[in-house]
Amino acid sequence: MVATLDRRAPAPVRTRRRSPMRRRQARTAFAFLAPALVFFALLFFYPLANEFVTSLFAGARADEFVGLGNYTRAFGDAQIRHAFAVTLQYGLGALVLSIVLGLVLAVILNQNLRGRAVFRGILLVPYLTSVAIVGLLWRNILDPQVGVLNRVLAAAGLPQQQWLTDHPLATLIGITVWQQTGYVTVLFLAGLQGIPHLYYEAAAVDGASVWRRFRHVTLPLLAPTTLFVSIIGVISSLQEFALPYLVTGGGPAGATDLFVFRVYQTSFAFRDFGYASALSYLLLIVILVLSVVQLKVGQRHAT
Amino acid sequence: MDTTLSRRGLLRAGATAAVAAPLLAACSRTPAADTGGGDKTFTLYWNAGHGYDAYAKVVRKFEADHKITVNWQKFQWPDLQTKLTADIQAGTVPDLVEDDGSGWPVTYATSGDALALDDFIAADGEKVGFPHDWQDNALRNVQYRGKTYGVPLHLTCNLLFYNKKMFADAGLKAAPSTWDEFLSAARKLTHGQQHGVALNSDFGYSSPWILQNGVKYWDPSAKQVLTPADRAAEALGFQHDLIHRYKVSPVPVASSDYEGPEKLFVANRVAMMLSGPWDFAPIKQAAPKLDLGLALPLSHTARATSFAGSGVFIPAKAKHPDLAWDLITRLTALDVELAATAETGMTMPRKSWAANATVKADPLVGAVARALAYGQSWPNGIAATGKATEVSDAWKTAYESTILSNGSAAQAVTTFRSTAAKLVGG
Repeated sequence: MVATLDRRAPAPVRTRRRSPMRRRQARTAFAFLAPALVFFALLFFYPLANEFVTSLFAGARADEFVGLGNYTRAFGDAQIRHAFAVTLQYGLGALVLSIVLGLVLAVILNQNLRGRAVFRGILLVPYLTSVAIVGLLWRNILDPQVGVLNRVLAAAGLPQQQWLTDHPLATLIGITVWQQTGYVTVLFLAGLQGIPHLYYEAAAVDGASVWRRFRHVTLPLLAPTTLFVSIIGVISSLQEFALPYLVTGGGPAGATDLFVFRVYQTSFAFRDFGYASALSYLLLIVILVLSVVQLKVGQRHAT
Repeated sequence: MDTTLSRRGLLRAGATAAVAAPLLAACSRTPAADTGGGDKTFTLYWNAGHGYDAYAKVVRKFEADHKITVNWQKFQWPDLQTKLTADIQAGTVPDLVEDDGSGWPVTYATSGDALALDDFIAADGEKVGFPHDWQDNALRNVQYRGKTYGVPLHLTCNLLFYNKKMFADAGLKAAPSTWDEFLSAARKLTHGQQHGVALNSDFGYSSPWILQNGVKYWDPSAKQVLTPADRAAEALGFQHDLIHRYKVSPVPVASSDYEGPEKLFVANRVAMMLSGPWDFAPIKQAAPKLDLGLALPLSHTARATSFAGSGVFIPAKAKHPDLAWDLITRLTALDVELAATAETGMTMPRKSWAANATVKADPLVGAVARALAYGQSWPNGIAATGKATEVSDAWKTAYESTILSNGSAAQAVTTFRSTAAKLVGG
């Protein structure tokens, strides 16, 4: 055994040796990578580590060590459970509707229609608009007394609606779908254009109807795009903050109290930074788990 | 000597510069600091709506007298609170902060983040009239454990705004004085697209109603909120009924802003609303011809309203506490208060301001000054518990569940008291 080790000993030394050119190349590569590494270390990894440390403390100055107390507190906090449930409803609603609408629009815009380039551009406008503008815009549109939407309903002889009072979460989902669908449509369009026309021709020769071609050719081949859209959608929905902050203030009575809005309140209104940090970490874990599950399910379907 | 630069050399130099630049920048002092600018800058956080010319003039004189630059940053209240909280956590605080009057100085004092002003007051108080020239109730939200942590800047209150023309058209000769008269007037004023009153989506506007029914938001001795609870439920229920039973008010919109009633008021869609002097300028701007009437706060078991306003305080780690105190004395001087009132109609906390002949003669400002006599402190010292914002958040939920979501007032009060008890004991 010793002899074996002795015999193998020189090998690693040999593989570690690099030519001077390789070493120079490696140094140059690291030099070029260094700004990015420094950037990420300072602005991403350090805050992440710092936030985890903060999550172990309590008090307005986060100076009272409580270990994992903030994490266990979160599981017993009814308000946090409520915020998480509201966020899941919001995320699921926004995701499903965005995908369905985005796919339908993508299929339509994938046809040889006149002015489709213009339509594609128009669809992207809400996504390109600042969420602050979107929030204020919709807050004014939905105002039951002076908003445009109720005036349109009144002109049509339809009853007035209290959008943000009677159906606040559904309304926020609607605003999100309005904003996100254009982006989802563009992604699906790219996916559709990547499907070889040959498959459709073969299916048509076999006598497949339009619906069967969509069901058995388009949808399976769009699976990678759908997977990407769903992962991105879930992450952005779980992290949504601006709409409840700008439009509803989390109300009425907590109906739109999304998780990140609750984290914001906990840190900046209640000055409970340790607890807010723990909540952020719990959200990170949830997002990671959901993303991994989605990837696994998506890969299984793809194979 | 070969001075040509090879491609590799160029790349290496570029990479080195890219790495070195941010590090050097991070390690170096800023030019401003090198020239003494770091110490010669005074940072002032202020409400975005309070940047009056009267204050700007004071700030310019302050800069000239001390040869210092004032970095005057203005925010909406929630953003100011967010910025300040982040600053305190980071240890880089402004020198002077305007607070929203709800008790920030005490809240920050409980964690050691606000500076006690007692030494300054002992030295200068007599000369500047603080606190003896300030209305007593205005001082309730700035004192903690026998020390003073803030100076009230504005003192306002909620009172009844009404449209005189709408009243005349409805045959109403006088503004209501009691809840019963108020409801009767609101019913007469409600028809078609017009409502008699518009209640606010902002839960803060519920306070006059609660106080008018003899309820304390916070009872420090019993360590309880909304006492007595049955009267609190009655007051909240009355507001609920105005909307959902009598339908004399539109349902407030779940929103993060409080301007809904004012928008309807200037659009002649409602005849009455509860507001304060902060709405004088917006109303004048949006509806200059509106014949605005102001009435004393309503009465039920008591005639009462809640004090509002703002104040100023110095963070504990401020770089220039002495200068901050000097600026406080300048901003709260009587002549500056009168100039700000003349400019905007804002009302002030000095007794000598309230006694001023010009103030008394002004129909709008004078009405607020008279209403201030019925003012009570809504927080009533709850900031000293260190849990004021959490309790306030729970009250927001209770208010919205009743007023916006048409829930039971009694249930909302019970739930709120239970939540508050977990936060502050009692």
